[in-house]
Amino acid sequence: MKTSHIIAFAAASAAVLLPELAAASGDVVAAVDEAIAGAPELARSAYPSIAGISARTLAWSMAQMHLFLAAFVLAVPLFAIATEFMSVITKDDRFDNMAREFMKITMAAYSLTALVGGGLLLSLLVFYPHLMGYLISVFRGQMLIYAALFGLESITLYVYFYSWDALRRGNRKYYHMSIGLLLNTVGLTLMFVANAWASFMMSPAGIDPDGAITGTVWEATRNPLWNPLNLHRFLANIAYGGAIVGGYAAYMFLAEKDPVKKAHYDWMGYTSNFIAIVGFIPLPFAGYWLMAEIYAYSQQMGITAMGGILAWLFIIQAVLIGTIMLAANYYLWSGLMRTDRGAQYTKYVKYIAVVIVGGFLVWVTPHTLILTTAEIQNLGGTHHKILGPLGIMPAKNTAVNLMLVFTFLSFQMFYRSSRVPTVSWAKSGNMVIVALYVIGIANIIGAGIYGYITPTVYKVGASVPQVVSTLMIILGSVFIDVFMLRGAKSEKIHWGRMTERSQYALFVLPVAFTWLMGLMGYIRSSLRTNWHVYTVMKDNSPENYIPTLGDAGNTITGITLAFMAIMVFVFWLSRLGVTKQKGTNTDTGATS
Amino acid sequence: MFDRKYVVFVVALVAWAAVFYFMDKSIMQAQGLPVGADMMPK
Repeated sequence: MKTSHIIAFAAASAAVLLPELAAASGDVVAAVDEAIAGAPELARSAYPSIAGISARTLAWSMAQMHLFLAAFVLAVPLFAIATEFMSVITKDDRFDNMAREFMKITMAAYSLTALVGGGLLLSLLVFYPHLMGYLISVFRGQMLIYAALFGLESITLYVYFYSWDALRRGNRKYYHMSIGLLLNTVGLTLMFVANAWASFMMSPAGIDPDGAITGTVWEATRNPLWNPLNLHRFLANIAYGGAIVGGYAAYMFLAEKDPVKKAHYDWMGYTSNFIAIVGFIPLPFAGYWLMAEIYAYSQQMGITAMGGILAWLFIIQAVLIGTIMLAANYYLWSGLMRTDRGAQYTKYVKYIAVVIVGGFLVWVTPHTLILTTAEIQNLGGTHHKILGPLGIMPAKNTAVNLMLVFTFLSFQMFYRSSRVPTVSWAKSGNMVIVALYVIGIANIIGAGIYGYITPTVYKVGASVPQVVSTLMIILGSVFIDVFMLRGAKSEKIHWGRMTERSQYALFVLPVAFTWLMGLMGYIRSSLRTNWHVYTVMKDNSPENYIPTLGDAGNTITGITLAFMAIMVFVFWLSRLGVTKQKGTNTDTGATS
Repeated sequence: MFDRKYVVFVVALVAWAAVFYFMDKSIMQAQGLPVGADMMPK
């Protein structure tokens, strides 16, 4: 069966429900056949107009919502299996229970992911039939493989979750983890395939300048931006998934009255926040690589992102990332009260707060100010003479690296508060770690200053040692800690001894992450300007312009609010699943 | 006399400084950017 027939079947099925769509299904079949010779050149009339619906806003909303849900349901099994593996290593059932609970939230969100994905497909087929036809002609059978993988993902997901208790002990546990491994392999492959389509639209490969197919599906898949996007989305999904299950844990912590359950959800919240931070720390570097590759592929595209109107969105991005940093650190500082030794570290919190807030302020300082004529005359230009230098990348790179280092320090303080090293060289080991921090931070600041006094190529080059310095501080400290805390005296952690206030920090994380992802998705898509497939297939639809920042802000906020409403529903549903009516026989009831 | 930990601290400072110096130098050179005073804008 030809791919075009399957697409036509899908579109025709939709037409049964909505007769106006019948014409669109025919367009898809025609588009697939025409596209082989080259990318279609479309007149405005080629874009269906149905009931005054804004095609772009509909497709945008569907795509963004699908991405939010998909990022979540793909990420959670990744750290669920890691947590399950921890239960095997430590022989501690608490990890196993938590991994199962992670998956329980995913299950509630999975069907919604498929539902919104179907909505996205339909909206694209109906409103952009020629584009879909062209993409199908480029990726051919890969789209069917995607559909098959989706089926396999569903099967493995359900088997993984529902076999949890049946395959819990002994060798059966390894069978269970193997299913989880298969689930994650399929999930990641799904993401990589979808990324190939999105990145092909930005940096097409395997075709000639007119769009005629000259290469294989693999060549189109392995386009210049595919791997940077893969890495960026992989890390972002981990951070995002961690943030959302952290929100769930906070919701449950606040809802529960039983101290034992409260302790469980406090621990779950801490673990989720840890996962979010682990995913988040390398994320700016992956983003930096993606942007560098965008510049390398098309300088014009890079300048559209970082030097034009979209550059302002990076200021909003800084606000959101700063919010994430502050919330994550606040939660870690609040966690110091869980241990009796935690109080001795609180005196350092104010210094860390100064660095985090200072870095945040540097990051949100724009290079060029939006001013009235009178203000420009008073200032003598659009650059502020003192704050202006903080608007360029060396300052922002320095700020973000320091914020990451100090966020790690917050985590390290909590970790240390429950462990007293017993090795004879503990004092010396601490000194080596302090020296590592001092020199590493000096190197980050030094490389930042160096960026001001050297040409641009050195500015960009000097950002790499900054990144490596941050990673060296983190990895070096962890490495020394591993040996120094071997056989350490453990202090009791009073899980559940947390303020309710601190849980709201865990709510801030998923909201800020969701907003951020919506914002960055808008930037990435807008880089194509008025092209469906950059420089190959022009967008001639009535909405072929970059939406204004205000319009984009409203749309992204609307999608974010809708997603949050869905998440609250999912959390409520998960809680409902373990709620029993008084007097009910509990023998047959499932437990969390 | 100084506590031994301060001696370790000073030695560690010097050692880490050396590590970071050679790391910076090798990263810049790997990017094709010669390290030296002549790269400063004239």
